[in-house]
Amino acid sequence: MAQLGTALKGDPKVGKFQITANPQNCTGCLRCQLACSEQHTKAFNPSAARIQVNVSGVDCIIHFTNECNECAICVDNCFYDALQKKPKENKR
Amino acid sequence: MKLGGFAGKILYVNLTRGSIESTPLDAGMAEKFIGGLGTTVKLAYDRIKPGIDALSPYNPIVLGVGPLVGTSLPATSRLYAVTKLPQSGTIGWCGAGGMNFGYLLKNAGYDHIIIEGRADHPVFLKITDDRVTICDANHLQGKGVEQTYEILREEHGSPAGVVSIGQAGENRVCFSMAYVDRFSTMGRGGFGAVMGSKNLKAILVRGSKGIRVADRKKYKALNREILKTIREYPYLKEWQDLGLLKSFPLVPEDMDYRKIRKRRIACVSCPIGDKDIVEIPDGDFQGTLVCSSSVVNLLTPTIYGFEDYREAIRCISLLDQYGLDMFEFFGVMDFAKALDDKGIIPKQLIDPDIHLDSPASMEAWAGKISSREGLGDTLADGFSGIMAEFGDETIEHAPYTVKSMLPYAGPRGPLPWNLFGTMELGQALDPRGPHVGASGSPTYFARRPLDVFPRHLRRMGVPEEAIERILSSGSPEKEDLKVGRLLKYSHRWFSILGSLGICARAQINRFYNAALCAELYESVTGIKTSLEELRFRADRVWTLLRMANVREGLTGEAGALPEKWFEEPGFHDYVSEKPLTREDAERMVEDYYEEQGWDRQTGIPKSDRLRELGLTE
Repeated sequence: MAQLGTALKGDPKVGKFQITANPQNCTGCLRCQLACSEQHTKAFNPSAARIQVNVSGVDCIIHFTNECNECAICVDNCFYDALQKKPKENKR
Repeated sequence: MKLGGFAGKILYVNLTRGSIESTPLDAGMAEKFIGGLGTTVKLAYDRIKPGIDALSPYNPIVLGVGPLVGTSLPATSRLYAVTKLPQSGTIGWCGAGGMNFGYLLKNAGYDHIIIEGRADHPVFLKITDDRVTICDANHLQGKGVEQTYEILREEHGSPAGVVSIGQAGENRVCFSMAYVDRFSTMGRGGFGAVMGSKNLKAILVRGSKGIRVADRKKYKALNREILKTIREYPYLKEWQDLGLLKSFPLVPEDMDYRKIRKRRIACVSCPIGDKDIVEIPDGDFQGTLVCSSSVVNLLTPTIYGFEDYREAIRCISLLDQYGLDMFEFFGVMDFAKALDDKGIIPKQLIDPDIHLDSPASMEAWAGKISSREGLGDTLADGFSGIMAEFGDETIEHAPYTVKSMLPYAGPRGPLPWNLFGTMELGQALDPRGPHVGASGSPTYFARRPLDVFPRHLRRMGVPEEAIERILSSGSPEKEDLKVGRLLKYSHRWFSILGSLGICARAQINRFYNAALCAELYESVTGIKTSLEELRFRADRVWTLLRMANVREGLTGEAGALPEKWFEEPGFHDYVSEKPLTREDAERMVEDYYEEQGWDRQTGIPKSDRLRELGLTE
């Protein structure tokens, strides 16, 4: 599991989008994990999501697992601008 | 039959015997009572013995989460409990959102938990998927709500959902609450004391099973539609920024809200999170971090005369740690102060002096009440306990109450408000006692023009003929609003939302409508459900809750409307803004009963209505 923090997630060989996270804006609502888990496992199960958000007190860490294929459904479900996406230029 | 959305099991725990069992959720019952709040009411109705003492081991706590909880639908976090509450003596619903508990309970495989009995020492219930254990909680005894949460998370890992009580619940203070995931308050009216009476300090849940919906394609289409509505809502960012401060602009001039807010927290899946972690920026408590269900709550002591917002924040954070309902606490202290001033409470018991605007005094009394020390032991039993202890002399100094509790929204209440809408009338007609949560309607906003009401009422699923009854004045020149008739549909709308698991707050339920709820329910569960069927089942739920209270002796509430609501400065009519008379309000109560199909005088559901709803035994 790679820690993202505010860095980018993305390997040009994998997905269509470059995803950035801004944990400062995250409220821990878990909509990203819910949507991700359903997309990839057909069940709402945040523990199985490829994005993992951990809000502990004022701290927030956002991780993506190695299985993440950058489909960006997490970004589409975020209401707080804690996740952003942009299309990769070298999309294959 | 395997339903979508539902986890599929009910967990039974008897703390006296130490037994743990589970049974499959009856699909027929789930359909008949929708799920969530509805099925929780049904399970409680079947298990509560009429007349039972709220703090008896035999009073069951029934918890439930609806079929939409744990999906990605917006603001579907709701956890409900139904039990007999010690303060009102009624069978009440208790509800809360929460960051983790609801969805993790579903992921552990349970839609409901029924807890009975009393452990012989402090315990907590630990649920990790199929492994359920009753664990020793001696090390948690005497700990506050947040500390309990932190210890459990430290010991058992994260994410975990936690329902816990503070010292006030342990000591059965009749206005103690439970807290869900440390932020969300649950059970004004003494739910904390009911947990405490069972020696149940907390429930911890972790789960990883996943929740499937019946019709993914339909679900996704409906979800997209809702997300679009939310994203296009012009005030979304403002609500996200201010939360309830948008409705209650209490911020003192010297407080920079955005600066002291260190993180905004949302209940699971909520697009308008309004919980906060704030940091006291300077002064004696500089650097103290405080979790709150809303910054509005943190500022409440300023209503009672606290001059320094930092001390207000500190005071409410202490009440939250003890697990005390703040409105009831300040109401009880105000009553005690009046009795002290009149010499009715012996002076030697008043230690320290009672000053509602003094942080030191209020903090000391919060501690004494929570630990039942000295006079705190009497104050912990609320208004009726104080009156029982100090006799008839106290009566003329008592605040007005409904079902022995303080109605907090009103012209003389801590939340000053003088128009009489559904939430105000609902304080008298919600079986649980004065609480506005189940009684929302367009009257939530003051002076909203009546010509926009039909649009909102249709969204709530009110049929056209009922809209006609609600808004008809009998004269084209005169506007009228039948608040009593409208309240029936507020309670129906609340029953729909609560049974599905959707937050009922005005700023959230505006994104839903009743027809959409029927479609969502069908797509998630696979139970074919029309709007008409959903409305009918919601009426069944609310009427069964009424019946649970009729069994307890509840009858017509018109006579119990507080007289002070009708004395200046009293309530005013929502439309004409003329002072409200007792006759006006009593007619609203009768209209409400009639619209429900209950007896117009007693409020007891009529036998033909019970038959129609399938509630005859």
